[in-house]
Amino acid sequence: MEEEKKEIDFEIGMKQNQELKLEEEPQQQQKQVGDEHVLRFLDSVDNYLTLFESLSCTLRQGWLELVSARHSMGASRVNSSLLDLKVHSASTSLQVTPDIVDSMEEQPHFILRKWGSLYDGKCSYEDQNSKVDGLQGKSGSPLPRHRGKPQLSEEISPKQAPLMVDDQVQKKRSRSLSVFGTLVSPQLRAAQLSFETALETLVEIANMRSTMLSTFNGVHKELGVAKEIR
Amino acid sequence: MYGFEALTFNIHGGYLEAIVRGHRSGLFTAADYNNLCQCETLDDIKMHLSATEYGPYLQNEPSPLHTTTIVEKCTLKLVDEYKHMLCQATEPLSTFLEYCRYGHMIDNVVLIVTGTLHERDVQELLEKCHPLGMFDSIASLAVAQNMRELYRLVLVDTPLAPYFSECITSEDLDDMNIEIMRNTLYKAYLEDFNRFCQKLGGATAEIMSDLLAFEADRRAVNITINSIGTELTRDDRKKLYSNFGLLYPYGHEELAVCEDLDQVRGVMEKYPPYQSIFSRLSYGESQLLDKAFYEEEVKRLCLAFEQQFHYAVFFAYIRLREQEIRNLMWISECVAQNQKSRVHDSVVFIF
Repeated sequence: MEEEKKEIDFEIGMKQNQELKLEEEPQQQQKQVGDEHVLRFLDSVDNYLTLFESLSCTLRQGWLELVSARHSMGASRVNSSLLDLKVHSASTSLQVTPDIVDSMEEQPHFILRKWGSLYDGKCSYEDQNSKVDGLQGKSGSPLPRHRGKPQLSEEISPKQAPLMVDDQVQKKRSRSLSVFGTLVSPQLRAAQLSFETALETLVEIANMRSTMLSTFNGVHKELGVAKEIR
Repeated sequence: MYGFEALTFNIHGGYLEAIVRGHRSGLFTAADYNNLCQCETLDDIKMHLSATEYGPYLQNEPSPLHTTTIVEKCTLKLVDEYKHMLCQATEPLSTFLEYCRYGHMIDNVVLIVTGTLHERDVQELLEKCHPLGMFDSIASLAVAQNMRELYRLVLVDTPLAPYFSECITSEDLDDMNIEIMRNTLYKAYLEDFNRFCQKLGGATAEIMSDLLAFEADRRAVNITINSIGTELTRDDRKKLYSNFGLLYPYGHEELAVCEDLDQVRGVMEKYPPYQSIFSRLSYGESQLLDKAFYEEEVKRLCLAFEQQFHYAVFFAYIRLREQEIRNLMWISECVAQNQKSRVHDSVVFIF
């Protein structure tokens, strides 16, 4: 009798443990998902701060190279009064397209297009695919908006494409510097590259900020759910 | 006749040579530059400069100062000194002093023409012109559409008129043509200046031929490096080199076909005076080349003061003062941008 009682108690205990485990599994899964959001949030914060520092270094370098160019070429050749005021298409444009993430949020998708002004009907772009949540909280139709002329398709072979794009980009770079003269010093070209890199970093910062805000929202939601469970 | 200037030079040039040697003693020393390099703000720089000859020019400038203001006011000092010497000079020194400012006139002409091409306001462009290069009809440059009009309407009555014979075309002014015009004018100016100095003879001819040859060679190197990767053809590049100097003519032949900095180095290292300059640079490095050339120029300009009774001291003083202003510009920018670790990258000590 006693042995039967012990067996029954053991079985009851086992069943209770199984029931407890079944109740704890979704909570553990939820905790894992919450940890994942927190880790993603912390990663995005770290990347955001790293990008800011990188931007600061790049801009400092660019400004010093510009001063070095003024020192080399002379103040009369490198000054703001030589900048071209004639109407011309923008060499860089930012395109916004909608992007749906996890069927939860609709985030704008920003694409930076450098040296995008048309030249004989063809253009060369260097896309910077990036996800930005800069319009979080704003409603409205996410229409593409970009300055400069739209991209046209190119019918060229895949091998020739990178070389032609590089040549065209180099030509556009030289043309934009021609406001200071066609024979400019290497320091001025280096300054141009530095500011170009800084622009790319700015877009990356915007992307990282949106990721950061998105993951923060996820963490916030998880905290809210956890409070409800308790 | 070389060697007999001591008998007659001081009659007309003695006073001004004394004046220019006095100005030379006011140039900054290494100790002055070290003090300036330790400044934390532009107001600190202004405070240090107030104890120098630049003091009266900066004392009324309100804070916050801008680096362009410092450069502008320091340049005014040079202009005042130059004008005083010019009005006291007799021939041929007055012509020699006029030659010293033709380079700035060329820069101003190109600035006005380029700015007008870019639809900038003429008054704004005139404010950016170098004061040493101003002339009466400079504002009229804005109406010209091509080089022929430029010459006919404005420049025919200026000292630059003889230099236009090689670049008069009816082509419209665009960025490439303006660049070619700039370098062609400067080439003609240097050659004319060299001929004038040779005609003067004596110590002036000897010292100025060395200084102008160095200037011509440096321009050839800069044109070569700056034209790498551009649309300028080899023939057009060669046409921009002056027809004198240590590199003329064989060095120019080799420089015309250079496609990168290392090839330029290979050409220049064949000439002993320039071997020392390029030996300080590592391969592929171009940033320190300007500083190396400025240091060599300063060395040669300082040597001009070792002899008396010649006009090269005036040219040397103007160039040394311009170098000092460049140093002040660099130091001010490094302080303003909080990049004092880079301040010694481009400062060239004179003494």
